[in-house]
Amino acid sequence: MKEIEEKFLELKEKAELMLDLAYSSLLYDNRVIAREVYKLEDDVDREHEELQRLAIENVIDDRDVEKALLYVRLGAALEIIADSAREIADVTLRDMDMHPVFQKSLRDSDTVITSAIVRPDSPYVGKKLREIDLPGEFGAWIIAIKRNGVWKYGPDGDDKIESGDFIIARCPKETEDKLIEMLGKKIDWETYEE
Amino acid sequence: MKLWKKKEFEEVEYEPKTVREILTEMKDTSELIVDLAYAALLFNSREIAEEVRLLEVQMDELKYQLQMTVMLAARGPEDAEKLAAVLQVANATEHISNAAGDIVALLKIPVKKRPFLSSLLRESDELISFIKVPEERAGKIEELYEKVSPGLRVLAVKRKKRWIYDPEDDFRIRGGDALVVSGAESAIQELKEYMGVKN
Repeated sequence: MKEIEEKFLELKEKAELMLDLAYSSLLYDNRVIAREVYKLEDDVDREHEELQRLAIENVIDDRDVEKALLYVRLGAALEIIADSAREIADVTLRDMDMHPVFQKSLRDSDTVITSAIVRPDSPYVGKKLREIDLPGEFGAWIIAIKRNGVWKYGPDGDDKIESGDFIIARCPKETEDKLIEMLGKKIDWETYEE
Repeated sequence: MKLWKKKEFEEVEYEPKTVREILTEMKDTSELIVDLAYAALLFNSREIAEEVRLLEVQMDELKYQLQMTVMLAARGPEDAEKLAAVLQVANATEHISNAAGDIVALLKIPVKKRPFLSSLLRESDELISFIKVPEERAGKIEELYEKVSPGLRVLAVKRKKRWIYDPEDDFRIRGGDALVVSGAESAIQELKEYMGVKN
Protein backbone atom coordinates (compact mmCIF):
# COMPACT_ATOMS: atom_id res chain seq x y z
CA MET A 1 0.00 0.00 0.00
CA LYS A 2 1.15 3.50 -0.72
CA GLU A 3 2.14 5.78 2.12
CA ILE A 4 -0.75 8.15 1.52
CA GLU A 5 -3.28 5.32 1.60
CA GLU A 6 -1.91 4.07 4.89
CA LYS A 7 -1.97 7.56 6.32
CA PHE A 8 -5.58 8.04 5.29
CA LEU A 9 -6.74 4.74 6.81
CA GLU A 10 -4.86 5.49 10.00
CA LEU A 11 -6.59 8.84 10.22
CA LYS A 12 -10.00 7.29 9.57
CA GLU A 13 -9.58 4.62 12.20
CA LYS A 14 -8.27 7.09 14.76
CA ALA A 15 -11.18 9.47 14.23
CA GLU A 16 -13.63 6.59 14.66
CA LEU A 17 -11.87 5.35 17.78
CA MET A 18 -11.93 8.85 19.22
CA LEU A 19 -15.69 9.00 18.89
CA ASP A 20 -16.12 5.64 20.60
CA LEU A 21 -13.80 6.73 23.39
CA ALA A 22 -15.52 10.09 23.74
CA TYR A 23 -18.92 8.48 24.21
CA SER A 24 -17.36 5.95 26.60
CA SER A 25 -15.87 8.74 28.70
CA LEU A 26 -19.28 10.39 28.85
CA LEU A 27 -21.15 7.21 29.70
CA TYR A 28 -18.77 6.23 32.47
CA ASP A 29 -17.82 9.77 33.50
CA ASN A 30 -14.20 8.72 33.03
CA ARG A 31 -11.55 11.42 32.76
CA VAL A 32 -8.70 9.06 31.90
CA ILE A 33 -10.47 8.02 28.70
CA ALA A 34 -11.44 11.62 27.95
CA ARG A 35 -7.80 12.67 28.20
CA GLU A 36 -6.90 9.93 25.73
CA VAL A 37 -9.32 11.52 23.26
CA TYR A 38 -7.40 14.78 23.60
CA LYS A 39 -4.12 12.98 23.05
CA LEU A 40 -5.45 11.26 19.94
CA GLU A 41 -6.70 14.58 18.64
CA ASP A 42 -3.11 15.83 18.66
CA ASP A 43 -2.09 12.74 16.68
CA VAL A 44 -4.89 13.35 14.22
CA ASP A 45 -3.85 16.97 13.71
CA ARG A 46 -0.32 15.87 12.94
CA GLU A 47 -1.37 13.02 10.67
CA HIS A 48 -3.77 15.26 8.82
CA GLU A 49 -0.91 17.64 8.08
CA GLU A 50 1.19 14.71 6.85
CA LEU A 51 -1.68 13.55 4.63
CA GLN A 52 -1.92 16.99 3.07
CA ARG A 53 1.82 17.05 2.47
CA LEU A 54 1.79 13.59 0.89
CA ALA A 55 -1.12 14.56 -1.35
CA ILE A 56 0.78 17.58 -2.61
CA GLU A 57 3.95 15.56 -3.14
CA ASN A 58 1.97 13.03 -5.16
CA VAL A 59 0.59 15.71 -7.46
CA ILE A 60 4.12 16.74 -8.32
CA ASP A 61 4.78 13.15 -9.40
CA ASP A 62 1.56 12.10 -11.12
CA ARG A 63 -0.20 15.43 -11.80
CA ASP A 64 -3.47 13.88 -10.66
CA VAL A 65 -5.04 16.95 -9.07
CA GLU A 66 -8.46 15.37 -8.42
CA LYS A 67 -6.95 12.49 -6.54
CA ALA A 68 -4.98 14.81 -4.30
CA LEU A 69 -8.08 16.92 -3.77
CA LEU A 70 -10.03 13.85 -2.69
CA TYR A 71 -7.44 12.96 -0.08
CA VAL A 72 -7.25 16.51 1.21
CA ARG A 73 -11.03 16.87 1.47
CA LEU A 74 -11.55 13.46 3.04
CA GLY A 75 -8.81 14.28 5.50
CA ALA A 76 -10.61 17.51 6.39
CA ALA A 77 -13.87 15.62 6.97
CA LEU A 78 -12.09 13.18 9.27
CA GLU A 79 -10.56 16.09 11.13
CA ILE A 80 -14.07 17.45 11.76
CA ILE A 81 -15.13 14.08 13.16
CA ALA A 82 -12.06 13.98 15.40
CA ASP A 83 -12.78 17.52 16.60
CA SER A 84 -16.36 16.53 17.38
CA ALA A 85 -15.07 13.67 19.51
CA ARG A 86 -12.91 16.14 21.38
CA GLU A 87 -15.91 18.39 21.95
CA ILE A 88 -17.69 15.47 23.57
CA ALA A 89 -14.72 14.48 25.72
CA ASP A 90 -14.50 18.11 26.80
CA VAL A 91 -17.75 17.69 28.73
CA THR A 92 -16.23 14.85 30.74
CA LEU A 93 -13.08 16.81 31.52
CA ARG A 94 -14.93 19.92 32.71
CA ASP A 95 -16.03 18.12 35.82
CA MET A 96 -19.59 19.30 35.39
CA ASP A 97 -22.30 17.35 37.09
CA MET A 98 -23.25 14.78 34.49
CA HIS A 99 -26.79 15.07 33.27
CA PRO A 100 -28.51 11.68 33.65
CA VAL A 101 -29.83 12.08 30.11
CA PHE A 102 -26.42 11.08 28.74
CA GLN A 103 -26.61 7.64 30.27
CA LYS A 104 -30.19 7.21 29.11
CA SER A 105 -29.62 8.46 25.58
CA LEU A 106 -26.52 6.37 25.11
CA ARG A 107 -28.49 3.35 26.32
CA ASP A 108 -31.36 4.11 23.92
CA SER A 109 -29.08 4.28 20.88
CA ASP A 110 -29.04 1.68 18.12
CA THR A 111 -25.47 0.85 19.03
CA VAL A 112 -24.53 0.86 22.69
CA ILE A 113 -21.31 1.03 24.61
CA THR A 114 -20.85 -1.68 27.17
CA SER A 115 -18.15 -3.00 29.47
CA ALA A 116 -17.18 -6.26 31.13
CA ILE A 117 -14.53 -7.91 33.27
CA VAL A 118 -13.27 -11.10 31.65
CA ARG A 119 -13.87 -14.19 33.77
CA PRO A 120 -11.07 -16.82 34.06
CA ASP A 121 -13.17 -19.47 32.31
CA SER A 122 -14.27 -17.29 29.39
CA PRO A 123 -13.72 -19.17 26.11
CA TYR A 124 -11.89 -16.10 24.85
CA VAL A 125 -9.08 -16.12 27.42
CA GLY A 126 -5.66 -16.35 25.77
CA LYS A 127 -7.15 -15.85 22.31
CA LYS A 128 -6.20 -13.16 19.84
CA LEU A 129 -8.95 -10.76 18.82
CA ARG A 130 -8.46 -11.87 15.24
CA GLU A 131 -9.27 -15.46 16.19
CA ILE A 132 -12.51 -14.71 18.00
CA ASP A 133 -13.79 -12.16 15.45
CA LEU A 134 -16.19 -10.32 17.73
CA PRO A 135 -17.16 -7.87 14.96
CA GLY A 136 -18.33 -10.76 12.77
CA GLU A 137 -19.89 -12.75 15.58
CA PHE A 138 -21.68 -10.04 17.53
CA GLY A 139 -21.08 -6.85 15.62
CA ALA A 140 -18.97 -5.91 18.63
CA TRP A 141 -15.89 -3.71 18.34
CA ILE A 142 -13.51 -3.49 21.25
CA ILE A 143 -12.76 0.11 22.10
CA ALA A 144 -10.33 -0.35 24.98
CA ILE A 145 -8.82 -2.98 27.24
CA LYS A 146 -7.43 -2.28 30.70
CA ARG A 147 -4.91 -4.75 32.08
CA ASN A 148 -2.94 -4.29 35.31
CA GLY A 149 -4.07 -0.71 35.50
CA VAL A 150 -2.90 0.17 32.00
CA TRP A 151 -5.34 1.05 29.22
CA LYS A 152 -4.83 -0.11 25.67
CA TYR A 153 -6.99 1.91 23.29
CA GLY A 154 -8.17 0.57 19.93
CA PRO A 155 -6.53 -2.86 20.19
CA ASP A 156 -5.74 -4.68 16.93
CA GLY A 157 -6.16 -8.26 15.78
CA ASP A 158 -2.96 -9.45 17.42
CA ASP A 159 -3.97 -8.29 20.89
CA LYS A 160 -5.12 -11.02 23.23
CA ILE A 161 -7.86 -11.23 25.82
CA GLU A 162 -6.77 -12.29 29.29
CA SER A 163 -8.60 -13.22 32.45
CA GLY A 164 -9.39 -10.15 34.54
CA ASP A 165 -9.21 -7.78 31.55
CA PHE A 166 -11.45 -4.85 31.73
CA ILE A 167 -13.10 -4.37 28.37
CA ILE A 168 -15.11 -1.56 26.80
CA ALA A 169 -16.89 -2.41 23.55
CA ARG A 170 -19.42 -1.01 21.10
CA CYS A 171 -22.12 -3.34 19.81
CA PRO A 172 -25.76 -3.47 18.66
CA LYS A 173 -28.19 -3.46 21.58
CA GLU A 174 -29.43 -6.91 20.55
CA THR A 175 -26.10 -8.69 21.08
CA GLU A 176 -24.97 -6.92 24.23
CA ASP A 177 -26.17 -9.58 26.68
CA LYS A 178 -24.63 -12.43 24.70
CA LEU A 179 -21.32 -10.62 24.41
CA ILE A 180 -21.17 -9.91 28.14
CA GLU A 181 -22.08 -13.51 28.90
CA MET A 182 -19.21 -14.78 26.76
CA LEU A 183 -16.71 -12.37 28.28
CA GLY A 184 -17.60 -12.40 31.94
CA LYS A 185 -19.65 -9.99 33.91
CA LYS A 186 -20.83 -6.46 33.46
CA ILE A 187 -18.90 -3.76 35.27
CA ASP A 188 -20.72 -1.83 37.92
CA TRP A 189 -19.28 1.63 37.40
CA GLU A 190 -21.06 2.97 40.46
CA THR A 191 -18.77 1.01 42.74
CA TYR A 192 -15.75 0.84 40.44
CA GLU A 193 -12.75 3.01 41.21
CA GLU A 194 -9.98 3.98 38.84
CA MET B 1 -36.69 21.22 -6.34
CA LYS B 2 -34.84 18.76 -4.20
CA LEU B 3 -36.46 17.73 -0.94
CA TRP B 4 -33.54 18.79 1.21
CA LYS B 5 -33.46 22.22 -0.47
CA LYS B 6 -37.14 22.64 0.26
CA LYS B 7 -36.65 21.72 3.89
CA GLU B 8 -33.44 23.64 4.40
CA PHE B 9 -34.92 26.84 5.79
CA GLU B 10 -38.29 25.55 6.83
CA GLU B 11 -39.83 27.16 9.88
CA VAL B 12 -38.90 25.35 13.06
CA GLU B 13 -41.73 24.94 15.50
CA TYR B 14 -41.55 23.63 19.00
CA GLU B 15 -42.50 19.99 19.31
CA PRO B 16 -43.12 18.33 22.66
CA LYS B 17 -40.22 15.89 22.67
CA THR B 18 -37.88 15.05 25.50
CA VAL B 19 -34.20 15.97 25.63
CA ARG B 20 -33.50 12.26 25.79
CA GLU B 21 -35.41 11.49 22.59
CA ILE B 22 -33.81 14.29 20.60
CA LEU B 23 -30.27 13.57 21.78
CA THR B 24 -30.64 9.86 20.97
CA GLU B 25 -31.97 10.69 17.52
CA MET B 26 -29.08 13.06 16.88
CA LYS B 27 -26.50 10.50 17.95
CA ASP B 28 -28.05 7.74 15.84
CA THR B 29 -28.34 10.02 12.83
CA SER B 30 -24.73 11.15 13.16
CA GLU B 31 -23.65 7.51 12.88
CA LEU B 32 -25.96 6.57 10.02
CA ILE B 33 -25.13 9.67 7.99
CA VAL B 34 -21.37 8.99 7.92
CA ASP B 35 -21.91 5.42 6.72
CA LEU B 36 -24.33 6.66 4.06
CA ALA B 37 -21.84 9.30 2.97
CA TYR B 38 -19.16 6.68 2.34
CA ALA B 39 -21.76 4.52 0.59
CA ALA B 40 -22.71 7.43 -1.71
CA LEU B 41 -19.07 7.85 -2.65
CA LEU B 42 -18.39 4.13 -3.05
CA PHE B 43 -21.41 3.41 -5.22
CA ASN B 44 -21.38 6.78 -6.94
CA SER B 45 -24.96 7.34 -5.89
CA ARG B 46 -26.51 10.77 -6.15
CA GLU B 47 -29.65 9.43 -4.51
CA ILE B 48 -27.81 8.36 -1.37
CA ALA B 49 -26.02 11.71 -1.41
CA GLU B 50 -29.43 13.42 -1.46
CA GLU B 51 -30.43 11.44 1.61
CA VAL B 52 -27.25 12.56 3.34
CA ARG B 53 -28.19 16.17 2.55
CA LEU B 54 -31.68 15.60 3.88
CA LEU B 55 -30.37 14.08 7.11
CA GLU B 56 -28.00 17.02 7.44
CA VAL B 57 -30.94 19.41 7.21
CA GLN B 58 -32.87 17.31 9.72
CA MET B 59 -29.94 17.50 12.12
CA ASP B 60 -30.05 21.30 11.96
CA GLU B 61 -33.71 21.16 12.81
CA LEU B 62 -33.16 18.70 15.65
CA LYS B 63 -30.57 21.05 17.07
CA TYR B 64 -33.12 23.85 17.21
CA GLN B 65 -35.66 21.49 18.76
CA LEU B 66 -33.17 20.52 21.41
CA GLN B 67 -32.24 24.12 22.16
CA MET B 68 -35.90 24.97 22.72
CA THR B 69 -36.53 21.93 24.86
CA VAL B 70 -33.44 22.58 26.93
CA MET B 71 -34.44 26.19 27.58
CA LEU B 72 -37.80 25.09 28.83
CA ALA B 73 -36.24 22.41 31.00
CA ALA B 74 -33.77 24.64 32.85
CA ARG B 75 -35.12 25.71 36.20
CA GLY B 76 -32.03 27.21 37.76
CA PRO B 77 -28.24 27.50 37.55
CA GLU B 78 -27.70 23.83 38.36
CA ASP B 79 -29.99 22.67 35.59
CA ALA B 80 -28.41 25.17 33.22
CA GLU B 81 -24.95 23.78 33.92
CA LYS B 82 -25.96 20.22 33.21
CA LEU B 83 -27.98 21.14 30.16
CA ALA B 84 -25.15 23.19 28.67
CA ALA B 85 -23.20 19.93 28.52
CA VAL B 86 -26.11 18.33 26.65
CA LEU B 87 -26.04 21.08 24.05
CA GLN B 88 -22.29 20.72 23.69
CA VAL B 89 -22.63 17.00 22.87
CA ALA B 90 -25.54 17.64 20.52
CA ASN B 91 -23.49 20.26 18.68
CA ALA B 92 -20.72 17.71 18.23
CA THR B 93 -23.14 15.25 16.59
CA GLU B 94 -24.31 18.04 14.31
CA HIS B 95 -20.72 18.78 13.30
CA ILE B 96 -20.29 15.12 12.39
CA SER B 97 -23.26 15.34 10.06
CA ASN B 98 -21.61 18.35 8.42
CA ALA B 99 -18.53 16.23 7.81
CA ALA B 100 -20.78 13.67 6.10
CA GLY B 101 -22.10 16.48 3.89
CA ASP B 102 -18.52 17.38 2.99
CA ILE B 103 -17.85 13.77 2.03
CA VAL B 104 -20.78 13.57 -0.41
CA ALA B 105 -19.72 16.89 -1.94
CA LEU B 106 -16.82 14.86 -3.38
CA LEU B 107 -19.27 13.27 -5.83
CA LYS B 108 -18.69 16.38 -7.92
CA ILE B 109 -15.25 15.03 -8.76
CA PRO B 110 -15.64 12.88 -11.90
CA VAL B 111 -16.10 9.20 -11.06
CA LYS B 112 -13.20 8.06 -13.23
CA LYS B 113 -10.93 10.21 -11.11
CA ARG B 114 -11.73 8.32 -7.94
CA PRO B 115 -11.54 4.58 -8.62
CA PHE B 116 -8.89 4.17 -5.93
CA LEU B 117 -11.43 5.05 -3.26
CA SER B 118 -13.31 1.77 -3.33
CA SER B 119 -10.16 -0.32 -2.95
CA LEU B 120 -9.01 2.05 -0.25
CA LEU B 121 -12.22 1.88 1.78
CA ARG B 122 -12.14 -1.88 1.38
CA GLU B 123 -9.11 -1.84 3.67
CA SER B 124 -11.16 -0.41 6.53
CA ASP B 125 -12.15 -2.66 9.42
CA GLU B 126 -15.81 -1.99 8.80
CA LEU B 127 -16.90 -2.52 5.22
CA ILE B 128 -19.81 -1.17 3.23
CA SER B 129 -21.20 -3.37 0.50
CA PHE B 130 -23.94 -3.33 -2.14
CA ILE B 131 -25.63 -6.72 -2.43
CA LYS B 132 -28.51 -8.03 -4.57
CA VAL B 133 -31.18 -10.19 -2.98
CA PRO B 134 -32.22 -13.32 -4.90
CA GLU B 135 -35.93 -14.39 -4.80
CA GLU B 136 -35.28 -17.24 -2.37
CA ARG B 137 -33.72 -14.92 0.20
CA ALA B 138 -36.71 -12.62 0.57
CA GLY B 139 -37.69 -12.07 4.20
CA LYS B 140 -37.38 -9.76 7.16
CA ILE B 141 -34.12 -7.93 7.75
CA GLU B 142 -33.91 -9.34 11.28
CA GLU B 143 -33.68 -12.81 9.75
CA LEU B 144 -30.39 -11.76 8.17
CA TYR B 145 -29.11 -10.70 11.56
CA GLU B 146 -30.15 -14.06 13.02
CA LYS B 147 -29.08 -16.35 10.18
CA VAL B 148 -26.00 -14.58 8.88
CA SER B 149 -24.54 -12.23 11.49
CA PRO B 150 -25.85 -9.77 14.06
CA GLY B 151 -22.87 -7.64 13.12
CA LEU B 152 -24.53 -6.56 9.88
CA ARG B 153 -26.44 -3.35 9.48
CA VAL B 154 -28.70 -2.62 6.53
CA LEU B 155 -28.27 1.08 5.86
CA ALA B 156 -30.53 1.27 2.83
CA VAL B 157 -32.62 -0.82 0.46
CA LYS B 158 -32.97 -0.13 -3.23
CA ARG B 159 -36.27 -1.33 -4.64
CA LYS B 160 -36.48 -0.70 -8.37
CA LYS B 161 -36.03 3.07 -8.57
CA ARG B 162 -36.95 3.76 -4.96
CA TRP B 163 -34.65 3.95 -1.96
CA ILE B 164 -35.62 3.10 1.59
CA TYR B 165 -33.17 4.39 4.17
CA ASP B 166 -32.46 3.05 7.63
CA PRO B 167 -35.16 0.34 7.43
CA GLU B 168 -36.61 -1.18 10.59
CA ASP B 169 -35.59 -4.71 11.58
CA ASP B 170 -39.00 -6.11 10.62
CA PHE B 171 -38.84 -4.54 7.14
CA ARG B 172 -39.43 -7.20 4.47
CA ILE B 173 -36.84 -7.39 1.73
CA ARG B 174 -37.88 -8.88 -1.60
CA GLY B 175 -36.11 -10.66 -4.40
CA GLY B 176 -34.61 -8.10 -6.73
CA ASP B 177 -33.97 -5.58 -3.95
CA ALA B 178 -30.41 -4.43 -3.42
CA LEU B 179 -29.03 -3.74 0.04
CA VAL B 180 -26.42 -1.30 1.23
CA VAL B 181 -24.95 -3.09 4.22
CA SER B 182 -22.18 -2.33 6.66
CA GLY B 183 -20.36 -4.84 8.81
CA ALA B 184 -17.13 -6.61 9.61
CA GLU B 185 -15.34 -8.23 6.69
CA SER B 186 -16.27 -11.76 7.82
CA ALA B 187 -19.93 -10.83 8.23
CA ILE B 188 -20.08 -9.22 4.79
CA GLN B 189 -18.41 -12.29 3.32
CA GLU B 190 -21.01 -14.57 4.92
CA LEU B 191 -23.80 -12.37 3.66
CA LYS B 192 -22.44 -12.56 0.14
CA GLU B 193 -22.38 -16.33 0.33
CA TYR B 194 -25.91 -16.36 1.76
CA MET B 195 -27.13 -14.16 -1.09
CA GLY B 196 -25.27 -16.28 -3.65
CA VAL B 197 -22.92 -13.49 -4.72
CA LYS B 198 -19.84 -14.78 -6.48
CA ASN B 199 -16.64 -12.97 -5.71
